[in-house]
Amino acid sequence: MNVISRGIRNAFRNTIRTASIVVILGISIGLSLTMLLARQAVQQKITDIKSSVANTITISPAGFSGFSSVNNSLTTAELSKVSSLSHVTSVAESLTDRLTTIGSTAPSFGGQSSSSTGQTSLTSPVTINTSGGGGHFFVSGGGSLPTNFTPPVSIVGTNDTTTLNSTALTITSGTALDGTADTDNAMISKSMASKNNLKVGSTFTAYSTTMTVTGIFTVSTEADAGTVVVSLPTEQRLSTQTGDITSAIATVDSISNLSSVTSAIKTTLGSSTADVTSSLAQANATVAPLNSVKNISLFSLIGAVIAGAIIILLVMVMIVRERRREIGVLKAIGGSNITIIFQFITEAITLTVLGAVIGLIIGVVGGTPVTKLLVDNSTSTTTTTTQTAGGRGSFGQSGGGVGGFTSRLNNNSLVSGVKDIKTAAGWGLLLDGFGAAIVIAILGSTLAAGLIAKVRPAEVMRTE
Amino acid sequence: MLKVTDLSKQFSSGGSTVVAVKKVNFKVPDGCFASIIGRSGSGKTTLLSLLGALEKPNEGSIEVDNQDVAKLSDHAQIKYRCNTIGFIFQSYNLVPNLTAVENVMLPMEFAGQPKDQRLKRAKELLEQVGLTADEMMRKPGKLSGGQQQRVAIARALANKPKLILADEPTGNLDSQTGDMIVKLLHGLAKSEDTTIIAVTHDLNISKSTDKTFKIDDGVLKEV
Repeated sequence: MNVISRGIRNAFRNTIRTASIVVILGISIGLSLTMLLARQAVQQKITDIKSSVANTITISPAGFSGFSSVNNSLTTAELSKVSSLSHVTSVAESLTDRLTTIGSTAPSFGGQSSSSTGQTSLTSPVTINTSGGGGHFFVSGGGSLPTNFTPPVSIVGTNDTTTLNSTALTITSGTALDGTADTDNAMISKSMASKNNLKVGSTFTAYSTTMTVTGIFTVSTEADAGTVVVSLPTEQRLSTQTGDITSAIATVDSISNLSSVTSAIKTTLGSSTADVTSSLAQANATVAPLNSVKNISLFSLIGAVIAGAIIILLVMVMIVRERRREIGVLKAIGGSNITIIFQFITEAITLTVLGAVIGLIIGVVGGTPVTKLLVDNSTSTTTTTTQTAGGRGSFGQSGGGVGGFTSRLNNNSLVSGVKDIKTAAGWGLLLDGFGAAIVIAILGSTLAAGLIAKVRPAEVMRTE
Repeated sequence: MLKVTDLSKQFSSGGSTVVAVKKVNFKVPDGCFASIIGRSGSGKTTLLSLLGALEKPNEGSIEVDNQDVAKLSDHAQIKYRCNTIGFIFQSYNLVPNLTAVENVMLPMEFAGQPKDQRLKRAKELLEQVGLTADEMMRKPGKLSGGQQQRVAIARALANKPKLILADEPTGNLDSQTGDMIVKLLHGLAKSEDTTIIAVTHDLNISKSTDKTFKIDDGVLKEV
């Protein structure tokens, strides 16, 4: 029997009280661990989302809407100012238009009127889900779908023909266009080529001009499959929009400069000229609910730790007051303050360790469900806002209604990715939690230790 | 040899000063069993606390084993209580969740003795005070008052002290058991060469001790 084993045995003097204390401590420690796990998981998710963000800034004409037939536009001159800003490594400019398939009776899609020049011989590979009259589709402004309707074809003139709507293009046949050369050449998707029986070297018409297919690419979305890519000068000439730009994406040298460059572009162009959004801003909007979960879990963690410390402190004060006479006897027969305090700290640690075992089980079992619950509750109230913001930004990003829908879908998947969160209770974390519990036990015993030190051995004689 | 010279202790209470022990002088040789009698509030417990270094005197000296207890530092007082004296209390004051043998081992643990030596000595002492092997392994709650006081006596003797201070050692016992305890203390005083100072109001005990002192309003006289 030594001071440690005596301290451990003392923890079990009153079984019912010990069980009650251990359960209460277990809940407190379990809540602490759950919140710690939730905070770590959320922090990891935020880091993942932010690290997946590209260091790009989207610049759209002010108030640009894919549904509107008339929009503001940016100019090459304005964007050259952006190119000259510090930390901007490149600016991908694009001009997007919509072409009606010759013979298609869809004059009012998207609120736009057809013109004899804005037509093409191409048929979009995109199919409208009519499903024999029972499918779901959307007609802008209402009305019914004409029987010979084919979806419009998007045409994008860009000085960066390696990407489309921020997605890298993979050329499977032919070569990529020079985005700065004004030619009558075009790149089409593999689906478009298949739908229209075209291959590299084939021709089609757009804006009453014969275009030659020089490259065929693959894309991951149906919307991009229905898009023709030409060089920026070509599209500006064909659409008679010389110098006009409907969308630009500025690339910044480092993600750490993203925020400052976004501000600089806003200042340079002015809010009445351009809507400027960075991918970081989008990511921040997406992770905003996670940040609130992180804060909630932090405050809950602090609260649970304080509650645990107070519980053990009060328990130890109660125990010391109860055993005041015994402490006096121990001192009278030669026990030093340090020995007696150590015995009581051992008792506190025993109670805390037992509570920690229960707490660790609660934390490991409850970590993921509680984190999911917190994230679900937090994101459900903000998802609508995020989607709206994402949709608006994505219209500007794509410069067209079809691309806008695509980006909105991407953003939805980002939101659902936010909800896909799991906690991971590694041995390191569990050991840290265990260590923290012991530190709490020691801290919680400090007041009790003070009381022990104050007990005068002579008191035991007075109470005889 | 216990030698007390001009020992005084006073307490402040409610703005007034109470003198509990006044200029007390006495000597008790080694192996002597002495008793201090006095009515309640006469200062006998205070005197016992001073002898046991549980209280510090306002003036005077207490010489035990050639050291002045009154001048010891806090740390030295702990060592003094651990190695030089043994306490026997009226209500035994055993640790309730330890067995009899573990209670006796406790002062030896504080003195830093190895576990096997502690166990051996504790069993010897408990045997000496008349406990059976079965009773040694019982917790205080499972022992009678007399058996608990025997355990307390064994605990007081654990570190072979020069001085045993007993506060009403038979106060909670029936007269027959009390007599047995007194005889036991007499025997131990001789066999262990230990000085015993017992505070009591039982005149039968005081009659059987080697020396008897009477304390009245803090003033001690040998009778």
